[in-house]
Amino acid sequence: MTGQDGWQPEAPELVRPYVITKGRGLPDEDDLSLITLVTASAGQSQRPARLSPEEQSLLDLCSAGYLSVAEIAGHTRFPLGVVRILLASLMEGGHLMTRPPVARARLADKEILEEVLNGLRAKFG
Amino acid sequence: MTEYTGNPLLWVALVALVAAAVLISRQRKAARALRQQVQGLRDHYTELENDYGKSVRAAQERAEDETKTVLKSAMRTLQGLAAEQQLVLSRLQNKYGDSALLQDLLEIDHTNSQFGRRAQSIAVLCDGWLGGRRDTASVYDVVRSAQGRIRHFRRVDILSQVDFGITSRAVEPVALALAELLDNATSYSSPDTVVEINIRTVPKGICVVVDDAGVGMSDEERVRADKLLATERASGVAGLGNPPQFGFAVIGLLCERFGFEVSVDSSSPYGGVRAVVLLPHELLTAMPEKKAPAPAARGTAARPVPDAGGPEAASLAPSQTGDGLPRRRRKRPMAIVPGSASAPRAAARSDSEQAQVMGAFQRGTQSGRTTGPASPDDAERTSDTPGASSEGHEVS
Repeated sequence: MTGQDGWQPEAPELVRPYVITKGRGLPDEDDLSLITLVTASAGQSQRPARLSPEEQSLLDLCSAGYLSVAEIAGHTRFPLGVVRILLASLMEGGHLMTRPPVARARLADKEILEEVLNGLRAKFG
Repeated sequence: MTEYTGNPLLWVALVALVAAAVLISRQRKAARALRQQVQGLRDHYTELENDYGKSVRAAQERAEDETKTVLKSAMRTLQGLAAEQQLVLSRLQNKYGDSALLQDLLEIDHTNSQFGRRAQSIAVLCDGWLGGRRDTASVYDVVRSAQGRIRHFRRVDILSQVDFGITSRAVEPVALALAELLDNATSYSSPDTVVEINIRTVPKGICVVVDDAGVGMSDEERVRADKLLATERASGVAGLGNPPQFGFAVIGLLCERFGFEVSVDSSSPYGGVRAVVLLPHELLTAMPEKKAPAPAARGTAARPVPDAGGPEAASLAPSQTGDGLPRRRRKRPMAIVPGSASAPRAAARSDSEQAQVMGAFQRGTQSGRTTGPASPDDAERTSDTPGASSEGHEVS
């Protein structure tokens, strides 16, 4: 039965990722991109009892403040997609909220800069 | 009287009498001999019959043993391959974790797990290798592992958790037995129903209760299940029927070998079958320690994290990622987000640390005052720099 004498391969993980995600599909890329910021939503002092340990630890990670999706994934041992699925389901449950990534600063208008430069030159130069 | 002696008729009669007596006794002897012969033949016949039965049984056993041996080694190969493939899949999942490919990889992983479980079940029936675990696992994780080994795992709902672990030796058998129960539960209930799992602490140990909303078992099926679970263990793959019904035969064998109990003699509140797995205290341990997000043990002997300056950094054990890079532990929120960033940082310092910081600050200003500024510009720069650098440390 035990047969320890022979070759024994390295045991794979006990709980496979598809069980942890409960078979859910990947969320939309736009909803949760790598740089989307995530935090625990307010009023989450008492934890719902029926979250899996993985979801609990994600909530713990996010409870201190905003973290990016990429960073959260870095702290877990799961593939990025799995983390995104879990985060999406936590968002659906209202435990997490996201903040869209900081909008890119608009490029300054070249003409205005030139006008300012010209003005400065006219005044001081 | 004497005239009678002379009567030849009398003599004839006498002779006839004697002859008859002799004849009768001889006949009797012959009959006795025949009877003995018949008895002997009969004995011989039963002996032959017994021998025949014995040799048939022996041949059957031999054939069964041979089948078992063949299946055992074949299954061992398959199990090894399934485990190997699972490792490959884990690697691929990590590699392509951020692409849409992951979805397909997860599906392949699921199929692979079912395939591995089938091989395991047959191996159990053939006294084969079950595959071992080195670590204890929480009851919840074992249940989830079982959940992952069946086709309709999405229909399984685990409603409760307990703070107990299962000894490493019993992890695989319990997971396999539960997987067989869940397979039965999901196969014999309609596709839109949910199979519920409740984990309860009882005086004898822990009960894992599996309720389905199926049609239940007929009396005949119940008798067969009870027989396989309690009294008569299955042996080999013979007698499983066609299509083969592995479930209860496998569970029965696992129960006997690893000392847990499974009963299916009650019905679930939803009308289906209620299966109860009772795990005795011998198979239970304390809750295993929470796994670090990544194999952290590897990094303990490695170089320490460059000192981040903050008092928290020293208290954290240095750890590394799988690639050998030092892991950064984020305890504080990101600095680019205003508002929420300042409060936890202030709270993180204890009084003594606060005092140390203030002391250092004071020493710095004193030493600055004693040397005296060479020029106002310099003074400005020196007073700026420490602030900027400490800010830099803080952010790290």
